[in-house]
Amino acid sequence: MILLRLISWPYARKHLLRCLLTTAGIVLGVGVFVGMRTANKSVLAAFNQTIDRIAGAAQLQITAGDAGFDEDVLDKVRELPEVRAAAPVIEATVGTGQNNLLILGVDMLGDRSIRSYDLEGNDDAIDDPLIFLAQPDSLMVTKKFADEHGLAVNSKLPMRTMQGDQVFTVRGIMKPGGLASAFGGDLAIMDIYAAQKMFGRGRKFDRIDIALEEGTRLEDATAKLQALLGSGFQVEPPSSRGQQFESTSRMYALASNITSVFALFIGMFIIYNTFAIAVTERRTEIGILRALGATRGQIRTLFLTESAIAGLAGTCVGVLFGIVMARAMSGYIGGMLTEIYGVAQSPGDLTLDPWLIGTAMAMGLVTSLVAAVLPARGAARVDPVKALQKGGFQSLGEGENRTRRRWAMAFGVASVAAFAFNRFGIMTYIGYVLAILAAVLLSPALSFWLSRALRPLLAGLRPVEGALAADSLIQAPRRTSGTIAALMLSLALVISLGGLARSSYDSLAEWMRIALNPDFFVTTAETLSSRSFVFPASLADGLRAIEGVAEVQPVRSVRVMVKNAPIMVIAIDVGLVAKRVHLPPVEGNSDEMYRLTAEEKGVVVSANFARLHDAHMGEVLEIPAPAGILRLPIVGVVDDFSDQQGTLLLNRDLFIRYWHDDSVNVFRVYVTPGADAGQVRQRILQAFGGQQRLFVLTNREVRDFITKLTDQWFGLTNVQTAVAVLVAILGIVNALTVSITDRRRELGVLQAVGGLRNQIRHTIWMEAIAIGAIGVLLGLALGAVQLFYSIEIARRDLVGISISYAYPFQTALILIPVILGSALLAALGPAESAVRGSLIEALEYE
Amino acid sequence: MNRFLLLLLAVPLVAQDPRQIIIEVQKRQHSDSQRYEGTLEVTSQGNQVATKRWVYQRIGSFGNSKAILRFTAPAEVKGVGLLIVNHPDRASDQWMWRPAIGRDQRIALQDRSTRFFGTDFSFEDLEERDVDQYDYKLLADEDGMWKLESRPRKSSQYEYSYFWIKKDNYTFVKIEAYNKKGLVRTIDYKNYEQIKGIWTARLTEVYDVTRKSRTILKYEKLEYNLPMKDDDFTLQALRRDL
Repeated sequence: MILLRLISWPYARKHLLRCLLTTAGIVLGVGVFVGMRTANKSVLAAFNQTIDRIAGAAQLQITAGDAGFDEDVLDKVRELPEVRAAAPVIEATVGTGQNNLLILGVDMLGDRSIRSYDLEGNDDAIDDPLIFLAQPDSLMVTKKFADEHGLAVNSKLPMRTMQGDQVFTVRGIMKPGGLASAFGGDLAIMDIYAAQKMFGRGRKFDRIDIALEEGTRLEDATAKLQALLGSGFQVEPPSSRGQQFESTSRMYALASNITSVFALFIGMFIIYNTFAIAVTERRTEIGILRALGATRGQIRTLFLTESAIAGLAGTCVGVLFGIVMARAMSGYIGGMLTEIYGVAQSPGDLTLDPWLIGTAMAMGLVTSLVAAVLPARGAARVDPVKALQKGGFQSLGEGENRTRRRWAMAFGVASVAAFAFNRFGIMTYIGYVLAILAAVLLSPALSFWLSRALRPLLAGLRPVEGALAADSLIQAPRRTSGTIAALMLSLALVISLGGLARSSYDSLAEWMRIALNPDFFVTTAETLSSRSFVFPASLADGLRAIEGVAEVQPVRSVRVMVKNAPIMVIAIDVGLVAKRVHLPPVEGNSDEMYRLTAEEKGVVVSANFARLHDAHMGEVLEIPAPAGILRLPIVGVVDDFSDQQGTLLLNRDLFIRYWHDDSVNVFRVYVTPGADAGQVRQRILQAFGGQQRLFVLTNREVRDFITKLTDQWFGLTNVQTAVAVLVAILGIVNALTVSITDRRRELGVLQAVGGLRNQIRHTIWMEAIAIGAIGVLLGLALGAVQLFYSIEIARRDLVGISISYAYPFQTALILIPVILGSALLAALGPAESAVRGSLIEALEYE
Repeated sequence: MNRFLLLLLAVPLVAQDPRQIIIEVQKRQHSDSQRYEGTLEVTSQGNQVATKRWVYQRIGSFGNSKAILRFTAPAEVKGVGLLIVNHPDRASDQWMWRPAIGRDQRIALQDRSTRFFGTDFSFEDLEERDVDQYDYKLLADEDGMWKLESRPRKSSQYEYSYFWIKKDNYTFVKIEAYNKKGLVRTIDYKNYEQIKGIWTARLTEVYDVTRKSRTILKYEKLEYNLPMKDDDFTLQALRRDL
């Protein structure tokens, strides 16, 4: 404690800026970790809360994926003596301008056995229950929604339904709390039979909520219901609905974990660098302490304690930063999942997990301690006699450098060897880590060589300043190698993220070119992702009759639990579609797979389904459907970007038989060659637009929508990119601040012997730009390697889709001026500090 | 002696079979069909009054009857109907018809305890059950009335009910219905008149104890034993608009 107070505290106060910059890496690493995880958790918690509130007293829910099932299932379920109450539900989201509104279609007669519509449990929420039931335009909204939209009882709310534009009447307002707070309060209740008409669901329910008789065991009731309905139905507690969400947010969690670990890794280098310099700077101090009797252990402990304190401070600030970040990110993630799944929501409150915060703090602290281990050991080994002598800095010994190079070579070889075994998932990660370690270990040597290579160039530009700047880098590699390593890692991260985006866009564009080739998509919503409304199958004939329409392909997509994951089943007339779309097969023969699927002898699966769920050609898939389990072999694997969880392609007739559902989500419409596409579109809208909810999206609009979704997904990586660039800039500022402080005497001498202030400035600027240039070179090179691993990890563990390697040259070109400019900007302060400081003080330094 | 005589005189009264009392009630109120126009006044806890009208028709009698009830006013609810098919050995079947969405809906057994379209009746209260579906106990004989306890043998929202039946004309005066938690609702029968020889209450008042709301049903144009056809008491008939 005494040492800390007498030695460390004055040093920290004197180098406050450096201390702050040193902890910045930890702040960012911990911040990203806490922020992204908390945002994910909060969105998931909000979703679970909505499920919980909507579920009410339901102990079990019966579903058949999200396709729905026939009404008669309800009667069967009600026959079971274990069932006290069974309430059918239709759930759908509709846009209301500002927010999405979750509409819950319930049986108003019996639903109160499951759900309570207001806090007091009385009926005043509905003005007149009979009118509510009698009039299909009846809606009950929450107080929050009513207030936000200026609604009162008997207010009108227009909505576009499958029966055209209709005006709904608010006939009840739910008091806040309980059910009314589900979906952030953007909730409306309507009669289920009216909802069936509104959403075009025919005589189907989405699910049945079940409350059991007292004393009935959940397991017994589940087993009985499952036996009654068959394995085509899922009988689960409401809480299991979060599964789909969790599997989606898992991707963000994994991606954010990689970024935060990287940020911490970079932070570790910044701390290492600072402490290494501090040990060098304070060697006289250490020498005195040793001379006065301080043991090596005490010196080591002193530096480790300093590091722990810095780490703790950085971690605390990082946690706070993470919470602020989570608040912004949760809305973003919630919005994005709403776009994709139509059911997510922005959480009102953040869900702070003490375990997560504890883990983040431990990570920050451990990172900080690990970073200080080598400098602390170096400090402990300082020879007091040598330390008390004035002289040159300790520099990296050739022996030490050679050892690092040997380790780097070994890691590099091991990394390549791991690649050979990359069919085992873990080997990819091992190879990745080894490649990064090899690059880090090699970075001092590479920095040294590149500094030497840059010397003629710098000297050519400015003979004196350039040479001085290059020499500074060459003579004190330890001072800058940590910064360059941090910069290299940061930029490698930026390149890999940018490359991943670029590669994904390229692959996506190719898929869209092949798969999305109709002229129009007739949909029930402005987006393709909303599946709340469906068309009747009969509309296909109506569309075919429109002048200028050459072909109409109905598409039905539903999410079904296959291999314990919510997989998108796409039902199309395979024979018809295959004539116009031929996705290149990843496995199987293209003609054969479509023929077998059209003959209902197999199913084509997407590559991401195959990879993420370990499915192989020939494997017989069990697909649960209301009519029973559909067992079909996989006859082909294609790259399909329709859904992140994977897709199964079925023949439409087979789907209709097994799901008892001939409704349609989207009609793919091809225009007759030579026909005016604009006129055909107008004809479709004129013929059907007024009768029902119908949108005609052009090919371009659909592609733009998909690109927008992809932008949103990669929007998250922009945060990570920003963090990486910020860490890189902080690293440079830190290194230069250290460098200037470190060289104040040297710079003072330069001034004393006649060096002009501008020469000093230019020297520091050039040194900064040189650090930046070396970091950029190494970063862009390591980025190429990291991009390879990122694509492998994304393909294998995140999205499962084959993404072709595309180096992000554009990002690289942007990074060069950004980093060099940042380096120059970062040098301005330290350079001014160097030339404006007292010459006498500088010469007295140390 | 006097005491003994008194006891002897009391025996036929105390020994009166409660089941026989109910059978006698049903016998005296028996009609092959019934029709009336009802006016409903629902007064909420906050003293808001909602008025509705319906037409009720029944064919058959206790435990073996069919009834159709169709709302006639206000305009928003006109045409909404309920078909009740009573069975002697089990709970009734009930279907609701909503003309605005053009579909009928079976009222599930589990939903019979819910309020009948915002009134203080429950769907179960509209059933006519056979005497054999209950166990009866005579609890008291005072003030010219019998007080009976009735316990359903099959599923019901009620655990038991108390009936007060006038001894002179075997008419219901009051019913108190209880569930596990206690008193749920009371039903008072008032303004009795003889119509075609049948003592008939012209007003029924239901009080929901939990909600503290009251429903008054006034019977107008009440007629018995009109000629009616079975075909008018089917799902197809229910689906026919007024």
